[in-house]
Amino acid sequence: MKALNNILPLVKNETIKMIKKKRFYVILLVLLVLVPMFAYAQLRQAEDKREKFGTDWRREVQQAITDNQNSLGSDRVPEEWKKYRQIYIQQMKYYLEHDVNPREPGGVSFTREFLDNAATLFIPLLIMGVGSDIVSSERTGGTVKMLLTRPVRRWKILLSKLVTLLMFVSLIIVSTCLICYLISGLFFGYRGWNMPVFTGFQLRGVEVDLSGVHAVPQWQYIFMQAGLIWFVSIIVAALAFMVSVLVRSTSASIVIMMATLIAGNILTNMASSWTSAKYLFMVNLGLTNYLAGTPAPIEGMTLGFSLLVLTVWGIASLVVSFLVFTKQDILN
Amino acid sequence: MNRTSRIWRSAGIASAVSTLLLLAGFVYAVSDIAHPSAEAGAKAVAPSGMEQAVKAGVWDVTSIGDSLAKGTGDDTGSGFARRTVDLLNKEGATSKLVNNLGINGLTTEELLPMLEDPGVKYALQHAGIILLSIGGNDLFNGTETLTTGEQVPTQAEIDAAIDQSSAKFGQVVAQIKKINVQALLVYVGLYNPFSDLEGMRDIGNDAVARWNAMAMKTLGDYDGTLVVPTYDLFTNNSSRYLSSDHFHPNGDGYQAIAERMVQGIAR
Repeated sequence: MKALNNILPLVKNETIKMIKKKRFYVILLVLLVLVPMFAYAQLRQAEDKREKFGTDWRREVQQAITDNQNSLGSDRVPEEWKKYRQIYIQQMKYYLEHDVNPREPGGVSFTREFLDNAATLFIPLLIMGVGSDIVSSERTGGTVKMLLTRPVRRWKILLSKLVTLLMFVSLIIVSTCLICYLISGLFFGYRGWNMPVFTGFQLRGVEVDLSGVHAVPQWQYIFMQAGLIWFVSIIVAALAFMVSVLVRSTSASIVIMMATLIAGNILTNMASSWTSAKYLFMVNLGLTNYLAGTPAPIEGMTLGFSLLVLTVWGIASLVVSFLVFTKQDILN
Repeated sequence: MNRTSRIWRSAGIASAVSTLLLLAGFVYAVSDIAHPSAEAGAKAVAPSGMEQAVKAGVWDVTSIGDSLAKGTGDDTGSGFARRTVDLLNKEGATSKLVNNLGINGLTTEELLPMLEDPGVKYALQHAGIILLSIGGNDLFNGTETLTTGEQVPTQAEIDAAIDQSSAKFGQVVAQIKKINVQALLVYVGLYNPFSDLEGMRDIGNDAVARWNAMAMKTLGDYDGTLVVPTYDLFTNNSSRYLSSDHFHPNGDGYQAIAERMVQGIAR
């Protein structure tokens, strides 16, 4: 309890620094600028489709099924993509059989799709924006010496920074959801909370086991998505935190994290034959895929596996952060 | 209470609430993925709607079947389906393409289970005109074995293929008519894609003639059917109407087929 009393004022201090440095506002601003752009693009796409299919989503879904079936016969399509498409076909058929529109337009649906797309790169980048300079900026600015001359143990100072970072991780994810919903609602309307979404597709090779499939209301689905993204974000935050401790310059630590995240995105698109890549954290960021039933980038990855890999990376980077920060000399 | 304290309070409370919420979501998601239970939701969604009264436009077109129905070989991607729609529209009817359900390499045997799919049924029910092309792959079993010349099918093999596929073809037609009895079912007769190939010309011609006669007879049992012949178009004009793969029609070939269809559709 005494330790907590010691740390709370430090966390308060860090939180105020974070707010005063306008880091969090920048992220909100990025969202406020980008989400309308995504929503507008989606709106145009929807209009385009309406021209072709009217408001008849069943025809649209059936056409998507047929188009994918056609590509299965082509020898030019890589086997890996065929697997994706076979799974997609089976899921779309399931939606048609149950007469549920998989892409009912609406603010809630937009949020769901946005979260799916943002889970592996966009949101981690935002997290990185607050995480990468949380320690290194004190060095760049020279304020770290003032911080360390206070009569507080070093690990407590680092812990307070970590706690603050995790607080802002939660805030960023919740604000992303809220901003997404509020802005896309202007374009598509605010309805769709209870629209059924199917989840529980279990993949056995190219076959989809439908025995576990069940419908959840869309708000519950988003609730689950946000939870999974939160977990991913915490791991990304921990890694950014470590880089921030290890690397002196803020811009260098941002570049390192950004390169890693983008490399992860590229790897997930082509790593299927390099199976040991599945132990890299950046290949495991797509936790929401397990919810949607899209196949994992590398054979043999499951939710449990990804959680384990991410947890190991997260814990390792925290251990490194604390060891280095408490031992290292602060020279400049 | 100064300003920094207010910031701290609101940020602290907001993040604590967010964290708890997200943690709950995470736990829920993990348990839902780990133990997917079908009992809860599946029943909440009643499969309905599909059975509701269907109002199909008289001139609306759905095409179904093999690569010809799809339009393979047409550089514009239109195929006879879209070309038929365009021609109908040009003549003053309001027509649209409901769906093009053609799949490359489809055989009658593969088409049958497709007709059970709700989406396929839906697209067929919403058409006034159904364009069907099937049978070519049953007879010629893909282009590769033939054009390489290594494995020219014998008369006996083709005979067997026709006998087997005829029954399936009958089921296909019956099923389509069952799904949508009002729509005009237009069947695209086969042509001999090997009329320029010495060894295949006679065998192909014979097979195509027998198949087309069978198709004519099968469809003759139903009202609202039409067989559009294509054999004569291609037999002496294969270089003009066939695409570079020597198997599928090119744009002009599809246009010629579409014109025939429109000529045959009563208005």
